[in-house]
Amino acid sequence: MIGNDIVDLKQSPSSWKRPRFLEKVFTEKEQHRIHTSQNQHQMIWLLWSMKEAAYKLHVQQYEIRFFNPKRLECELISEDKGIVTVDSDIYFTNSNITEDYVYTIAKQTINKAINTSIFKSETFNYLNQSTIIKQRILKSVSETEYLDIETLEIKKTEIGIPEFYSKSVKLPIHFSLTHCGRFSGFAY
Amino acid sequence: MTKEDLIATLKTIVQPYIQDEDAFDKLSEDTDFINDLKINSANLVDVILDVEDEFDIRIENEDMEQMTSVKAAMDIVNEKLAAK
Repeated sequence: MIGNDIVDLKQSPSSWKRPRFLEKVFTEKEQHRIHTSQNQHQMIWLLWSMKEAAYKLHVQQYEIRFFNPKRLECELISEDKGIVTVDSDIYFTNSNITEDYVYTIAKQTINKAINTSIFKSETFNYLNQSTIIKQRILKSVSETEYLDIETLEIKKTEIGIPEFYSKSVKLPIHFSLTHCGRFSGFAY
Repeated sequence: MTKEDLIATLKTIVQPYIQDEDAFDKLSEDTDFINDLKINSANLVDVILDVEDEFDIRIENEDMEQMTSVKAAMDIVNEKLAAK
């Protein structure tokens, strides 16, 4: 299972400067890290993307949704590697930080090999973005897993987890899709 | 506040964050913020803060956990207003 999340640092999804935003999202320890950080904006969205990526994995694992970012507790081991704890589960994160974006992948084991891609979106329309990301990952999966792309499709479960199907048979490939601002990405 | 008024107020609150216009036009108690309206999770924090401001209430993280649909938001707002 895998989770990913991208945040466009120049078109971040929300204003963290509004009152009570940080308190709703981050634990006291995380808030301390943010306040002592040289680049607060980047630190906030790094921790956010770690939480989001870990959440997407957690939902695949338990198939229960919840909205409580504080329940996902982040610990940074280095600039780009971290651990996210959700109750008794531990997930390992790897982030890619550039001037433009923060991109995090969450895994259950450190060494698990993954395929991932980040690309610029050509559209700002949600449905088009969603279609483009799906086309991209289907093309990639068809190539790496030697599957006929014509038979592949993505369906969502009742709670919104996307799954691969080939000729109506569910494939045992977990994946995660993400989009923010100018960027989209997938991982599996 | 009537049920219809509450839904109308919530509809105004979520409007800036929705990404699916069709689902927004058809908004009802059964509408899901994430799966139907495609509100991203950072903006879901905004929705919760806006709800707090609008009704002058505070929503603890435990209450926020299930606040992913219009129905759940209505329940929490009603509960908080009753406790005022």
